[in-house]
Amino acid sequence: MLHTIKEVFRSPKFTIGLAIFVVMLLVVFIYPLIITDDPLDIIGLGTFFEPGIYVNLYDGLESKTYVLKLEDAAANRIASKLGEQERLDIQEYLLLAGVPEEEIDIEDTEKLLELWLNNYDPTVRFPGSTSAKRKYYARLDASLDGLLSTEAAIIAVKNEETGELEEKSLVKQDDYVNVSKVANVRVLPLGTDNFGRDMLTELVSATGVSLRIGLIAGLVATSIGLTLGLLSGYIGGWVDDVIMFITNLFIVIPSFVLLVLISYSIGQEQRGASTVAIVIGFTSWVWTARAVRAQVISLRHRDHVNLSKLSGHSVAHIIIFDILPYIASYVVMAFILQISSGILAEAGLSILGLGPKTTDVPTLGLMMNWAMIYSAHIMGKWWAYFPVIVVIALISFSLNLMNTGLDQVFNPTLRD
Amino acid sequence: MKKRLLFVLSFVLIFSMFLTACQPEEVEEVVEEVEEVVEEVVEEVVEEPEVEEPEEEEPVAAGPDLDPAEVAASLPREETLYIAGLQWSAVVGWNPYSSANNNAMGVAAGNNARVPIFETPYMYNMINGEQIPLLADGDWEWNEDMTEATFKIKEVAKWSDGTPVTAEDVAYTWATHVKYETTAGVGYGEYIETVEAVDPLTVVVKAKLDEEGKAVNPLLVKAYISSEYVVQKAWTETLEARAGGDATALKEDPAMDFVSSGPYTKFYDDDQKVVFIRDDNYWGQDASMFGSLPVPKYLAHTIYADNNAGFLALKAGEVDVSQQFNANVQDLWLVDNLPISTWMDDAPYGLTASLPTAYFNLESYGLDNIAVRKAIAYAVDYDTIIANAMTNQSPTFDQVPRSVMNPTAGEQALYDQAAVADLQWVGNDIEGAKAILDEAGIVDTDGDGWRELDGQKLSYNAVCPNGWSDWQAAMEIVAAAGEKIGIEITTLYPEWGVYQTVFVNGDQQEYDIFMVWSDGAGPTQPWGRVRQLMYSKFAETQGNWNGNWGGYINPRIDEIITEIPATTDQARLVELYTEATEIYLTDIPSFTLMYRPDQFYTVNESVWTNYPSADDGRNIPPMNLLDGYSIAGLYELELVNP
Amino acid sequence: MKGYLKYFSGKLAWFLVTLVAAFILNFILPRLMPGDPVAIITQRVVQGMTSQAGVQKVYEQYAELFGTNKPIHEQFIIYMRNIVQGNFGLSFSQYPRPVADILKSSIWWTIALQFPAIIVGWLLGNTLGALAAYLKKGFDKVLMPISIFISNLPAFGMAVILLVIFAVRLKWFPTAGGYGFDMIPNFSWDYIKSVLIHYQLPFWSIVLISIGGQAIGMRAMSIYELNADYVKYSRFLGIKDRKIIGYVFRNAMLPQITGLALSIGTMVGGALVAEIIFSYPGLGSTLLTAVMGQDYPLISASTLIITLMVLIANFLIEILYGVIDPRIKAAQVE
Repeated sequence: MLHTIKEVFRSPKFTIGLAIFVVMLLVVFIYPLIITDDPLDIIGLGTFFEPGIYVNLYDGLESKTYVLKLEDAAANRIASKLGEQERLDIQEYLLLAGVPEEEIDIEDTEKLLELWLNNYDPTVRFPGSTSAKRKYYARLDASLDGLLSTEAAIIAVKNEETGELEEKSLVKQDDYVNVSKVANVRVLPLGTDNFGRDMLTELVSATGVSLRIGLIAGLVATSIGLTLGLLSGYIGGWVDDVIMFITNLFIVIPSFVLLVLISYSIGQEQRGASTVAIVIGFTSWVWTARAVRAQVISLRHRDHVNLSKLSGHSVAHIIIFDILPYIASYVVMAFILQISSGILAEAGLSILGLGPKTTDVPTLGLMMNWAMIYSAHIMGKWWAYFPVIVVIALISFSLNLMNTGLDQVFNPTLRD
Repeated sequence: MKKRLLFVLSFVLIFSMFLTACQPEEVEEVVEEVEEVVEEVVEEVVEEPEVEEPEEEEPVAAGPDLDPAEVAASLPREETLYIAGLQWSAVVGWNPYSSANNNAMGVAAGNNARVPIFETPYMYNMINGEQIPLLADGDWEWNEDMTEATFKIKEVAKWSDGTPVTAEDVAYTWATHVKYETTAGVGYGEYIETVEAVDPLTVVVKAKLDEEGKAVNPLLVKAYISSEYVVQKAWTETLEARAGGDATALKEDPAMDFVSSGPYTKFYDDDQKVVFIRDDNYWGQDASMFGSLPVPKYLAHTIYADNNAGFLALKAGEVDVSQQFNANVQDLWLVDNLPISTWMDDAPYGLTASLPTAYFNLESYGLDNIAVRKAIAYAVDYDTIIANAMTNQSPTFDQVPRSVMNPTAGEQALYDQAAVADLQWVGNDIEGAKAILDEAGIVDTDGDGWRELDGQKLSYNAVCPNGWSDWQAAMEIVAAAGEKIGIEITTLYPEWGVYQTVFVNGDQQEYDIFMVWSDGAGPTQPWGRVRQLMYSKFAETQGNWNGNWGGYINPRIDEIITEIPATTDQARLVELYTEATEIYLTDIPSFTLMYRPDQFYTVNESVWTNYPSADDGRNIPPMNLLDGYSIAGLYELELVNP
Repeated sequence: MKGYLKYFSGKLAWFLVTLVAAFILNFILPRLMPGDPVAIITQRVVQGMTSQAGVQKVYEQYAELFGTNKPIHEQFIIYMRNIVQGNFGLSFSQYPRPVADILKSSIWWTIALQFPAIIVGWLLGNTLGALAAYLKKGFDKVLMPISIFISNLPAFGMAVILLVIFAVRLKWFPTAGGYGFDMIPNFSWDYIKSVLIHYQLPFWSIVLISIGGQAIGMRAMSIYELNADYVKYSRFLGIKDRKIIGYVFRNAMLPQITGLALSIGTMVGGALVAEIIFSYPGLGSTLLTAVMGQDYPLISASTLIITLMVLIANFLIEILYGVIDPRIKAAQVE
């Protein structure tokens, strides 16, 4: 036994798989201890904030300022409003407005802006120009306003009595604050989702729930499969016929279709995460049953089993002591695969809007579903869906690697 | 039977092909064969349906003398306007008397009736409330005591078969609606006595009268003439003959042979698209109407599987006019720099006119208690609903304080805002809500974190149809508010099919807080909305599609609802509407969650330009270029690259 | 010969019995779902009607038409009789469209998409597995883990990633639909080309996720066979390597063929998701709308067709397997 376990850990595939899996488990357990926020808390007013460090502007104004003389600061500031594309667009407009091409130097910011100010007329409509284009130029015009100014910005507060603005402080162009000195800073490593929830916190919590769903589904599927497989394989006869018939039936009706039908029938009110997990388990035991049966059939005429029979042991005794140990490795492997397919099934169901109900807990599938409903994938909000896919793939990959590793240990011929 | 045999055979064929192909002798061969097979399969199998389909589709496809594929195998992009967001599955029929045709693209009567195929006497313009003559000639007129409305039919108006549209057609259409108990017949039956043809071109709509000899509801008479289609008498008779006088049969008839008067007619439809083709003999090109034909020769609507597919197509320039809720629509031009715009450039981007509202089921335990209703309504964070669920495509309740009015200037002017300012809550008032509950003695008595009323825990579901994403997100936020004030609210999203069988029953016990749309803009608004929100007569009825789904009873509001339609004095109207608003905001039988456009309106200028927009002064409403007066936009489109 | 006959008739009997059972399940399952679809249709038709008696009348009319007012066993008999006559009834959600009509327009898309994709995935997977077993080293160490990782992506994940990369970003392929948005179906080169282009993304999304699983299986079987005694013996006899390998992979392939038969059902599930993400016309989309719209006749019919497809595929594979594998014959004779 010890030897087998040693063997198992010597398999690189198993170890890598296990390592990935354990790291994920650790994150799921440790992260909530450090970040104690409710994963479903809506913190952002607005959808899909980009990943990044969010610094409170108000506190930023209040905190200590440092003056840094950085040469490229002004250039960066201008480039953020007036990039390559904007310069070309201005050139295009100026040409349409009849400015001779040789007068336009798109590299010379000052001259370009001057030309723009002199020639831009929001009321003119050039032939073939769309209203979208006209609106674009109007927005560009507005954003260029005061671009070259070097004046400081004035922060003013309203006097409560007179209602007048009173100058409070000046923000100069080379003022900086140190992020660590600002009272309120929130790091959102994966931004927010469509509800304005912290994606990372939600993702970690969802991973935990999805793992639980996988585990329950795997347990249910494996126990049903194992029981039926053992009965069918060992007892044989009509029991075998009946069980095999049911099994074949389940193979023929695509389990996914069955899953959709059952989930729909349950209705959303009853669809908690555990219920969904049980339903998934109930529709995915077929493989285990078939495989266990095959193994048992090849075992049941072995000498030690016959010996046990002759000694008058009960069927239960024989199954538990003479057959189970021989197929244990297989069952463990099947269980691992069931976990991963359970997680995939939950995700698939949720994508179709048939997953667990939403208010209780986040799951990977639900996160994916909401990201899709709010078109994250179309609008390039990768942080709202890609990490979810990666986590699902990683879970399932690590479990499969473990499984392959075990396979190689238990079937020595498969070793490299 | 033959078809199935074919299917089985082709199946066998495909399979045997593979399995004989894959008994490899050598590894290298496998690889080669794989490639071969891939090619073979792709061609073999993919081509197959194509050979089949044109034959099979024929009965569904256009008229008898028109084979669409022969007219245009592919629709020339420069002659086609693509619309999205109306039609979500295959068209079933074209019957203007039926509401079971699943033909949203072509046949949709109502406040802003869709008029590309069938036409109404007048077109409603939701921007200014005007009714603009379409089939009718000149404005319609009341008689002195407001019991009869008279209008003329244009002499040039013709049916697609070339015969003139007559007053008799208008009269017969009404008679048919009544006789066969259609939606329109039943809906207007209480308010319209008859529609008569005085002479071939003059129509008189006679209102039903009350005991005092006044029209029961002049507003609905006014609405009828811009909301309901005129259908040809001769064709209606054909239809009746086919149905044998049976109402259900008449409404189920797919009416493939319809005769219509509009500028377009059906061209092609299958599971993936609907296409209309312009009728180049359309009467409306007469100088007395539009003076020209509408610009696009084809109107096409691809049937997308979901919102995302339609959104992607809009981004790709495959959709010109989109009536979909596209989350964060502004990113299309701000981030992606696409030639896409909405009605307005800045939030709320559209012309919001309807008030999606959450109704309290007054029969649910505790919801008959005003304190509970008020607390929930005050606690909900509407700013988050608007910013997150609606991605800012709605004004906030700071910008447009809550009332029974939609945000349009016309309706806002109809009530005295200052008089009810104290009642107009903005939301997210958790402490205020808690105080209301505490004061009413509704506290957590057993320490489980949830409040009890007389010992029973307050626990509700918040319901809206599945897949209505912005509503679902809104319900999540309502549920979150409940948690904060100690009232358990869980969300529930049944399928629309299920939802609509439940919420329309006045005595249903399943849904506690449930969302329903509200009337948008129309000739009867905002009166229609007041009635929809609070009219006692609607309460407790079965199959109620009219309103007051929570079962609110208040005799005073009923009086106001009865008085408004007959009131012409503006000051009195404002008084009545202000009182209605006051009652609504005090009793809170339901609460508005956001404002929403009647139709979402996003246009793509990759091919067409000169779409109506808020600032162009043309007063063409943003309604898909199909509904009511917005069809005028079709005549003003221009190609970006002519 | 007798052995074969016994084998085939055994399989056929199993096939028929399963078919009947599946048939019954397909009838019952959708009808166990909550909600009243007749009420839904009624609502649609009676919108605005105020008279309760009138609404009730319409409801009864529909209940009669769909036979939902009869006891369930009677409904089943009617259903069976109709199916035998090729009549799937009328759809609830797209009433009065016949179910057969809806299926007719979607089934070919599914067949054309799924079976080639499943088979190509199977072939590629097996080739990869065989190569991994034979070449080992770099191939086995690099390509195998990658393909395992890819096949562990959830079906919709793969579909979404392909969609975002190739349709949204690179714009190489269209985003949705079975043919060009500007096309009217017709028999022309342009149309076929358009269909082929729309075919690519859904096709590859199915192929890519099915490769890994097959490859792992094939690799294991091949290694097992490569180490088998007969191989060593043949080598010892001096038979050419090429020839031996031919035998080896042929033998390794046999269990894989049963594997294919068994996994077709699972693969169809994944393929349905791909159809939905790419808005590809087909049974997947049809089934989903049917479920959402509580359209019993349509659900029953589409699950029946899916089941039938899987069943026939299984049956054919088993028959073929019997022909290919001499051990079957031996087993039956014994």
